[in-house]
Amino acid sequence: MSSHLTATLLDDATPMTLAELARACRAAEEQVHVWVVEGVLEPIGRSPHDRPPEWRFTGSALRRARLAVTLTRELEVNAPGVALALDLMDEIEALRAALKRTAR
Amino acid sequence: MEFKDYYRTLGVARDASADDITAAYRKLARKFHPDVSKEKDAEARFKEIGEAGEVLRDPEKRAAYDSAGSQWARQQAAGGTPRGAGAQDFQPPPGWNAGFESSGRGGYDDGLGGADHSDFFEALFGRTRAGRGAPRPNAPTRGQDHHAKVMIDLGDAFRGAQRSISLRMPEFDDAGRGVMRERTLAINIPKGIREGQQLRLAGQGGPGPGSGPAGDLFLEIAFNPHPRFRVDGRDVYVDLPLAPWEAVLGASIGAATPDGDVELTIPPGSAAGRKLRLRGKGIPGDPAGDLYVVLAIALPPGESAKARAAYEAFASAFEFNPRAPLEGATP
Repeated sequence: MSSHLTATLLDDATPMTLAELARACRAAEEQVHVWVVEGVLEPIGRSPHDRPPEWRFTGSALRRARLAVTLTRELEVNAPGVALALDLMDEIEALRAALKRTAR
Repeated sequence: MEFKDYYRTLGVARDASADDITAAYRKLARKFHPDVSKEKDAEARFKEIGEAGEVLRDPEKRAAYDSAGSQWARQQAAGGTPRGAGAQDFQPPPGWNAGFESSGRGGYDDGLGGADHSDFFEALFGRTRAGRGAPRPNAPTRGQDHHAKVMIDLGDAFRGAQRSISLRMPEFDDAGRGVMRERTLAINIPKGIREGQQLRLAGQGGPGPGSGPAGDLFLEIAFNPHPRFRVDGRDVYVDLPLAPWEAVLGASIGAATPDGDVELTIPPGSAAGRKLRLRGKGIPGDPAGDLYVVLAIALPPGESAKARAAYEAFASAFEFNPRAPLEGATP
């Protein structure tokens, strides 16, 4: 079966809501809320008085949220631990990118 | 169906304590976590480990597994199953697992519905229906969102592209059994897409039970490795080898970019490792990325008599000690 489809790029212009993000990563909305509070996920353009329903997320938040789901479920890491693990993964990624820039 | 030795998967003895099992499980789960592991087949191993851990770390499931295992062993010993190809066949005895209904996994379900579990697991513990809670079979609910990773070429991000991708998706047939369905989708790759970004295809996820709407399909973008260009976010890096005289005297040189050839001015006195930035020549967008040309210096071989003479003339023309900066630095 083949069909032509238009894909939506989940960037700043077409972000996801909290509910969409929660559904896509199969976590409860309350869990996503906790991850935002703990710094695992960061809504874009967030001002302090934004209520959770006004939060918006890009595709990179979805990637992080899916990682957070795995870490939480399979390794039973708590939310601050997930935030730490993801920060370290980001750092590894940045180091790998730096290596790649200079690698011949 | 093959009998799965969960104890062997975790590398623990059959009489291992709960603590030993947890310790072994955690260690392996960290080692093979697909997002951090560099091991081959990390993802498959991680799933096996997860399944073994799920059974052995739950006292009820472990007891059920042990009893199924000893029945199977007795059956094997008594020659109840014919030797040969079928000898490994495992069928749980009927009705053995009453009372072992899965209670789900604390708020999350599996990444891909019930397909995360092996047939063996499902024969023992039943298939956990996708979705939190247990929707009545005919109640219209929204289908599951699905995820896949898609490899594209760097050129696709520069120009936009239409690509056919093949996906294998677990689905449930009318009898509620999990089946793999393969399908090909033609999708538009928008110009300016970067690694790690997500595309959403509305309604292309799992079908909704009852008359519910289908879920969405999310595609995570990654680039196929390119022999020449390296990508970091929006920026692209390319190496450009120069002859020593080009680096010293400066030159005008044609260089390949993902968007075609450009004429580059090499400033005189360029050292190896110097980066020339071509603003806005990286991945297109707002803002567009930059293209970095990393200079390298290639030495011509000194094999012929003529080449050696040139190097000797070169040496005598300079009072050059490349190790001068190292002198005086005592260990």
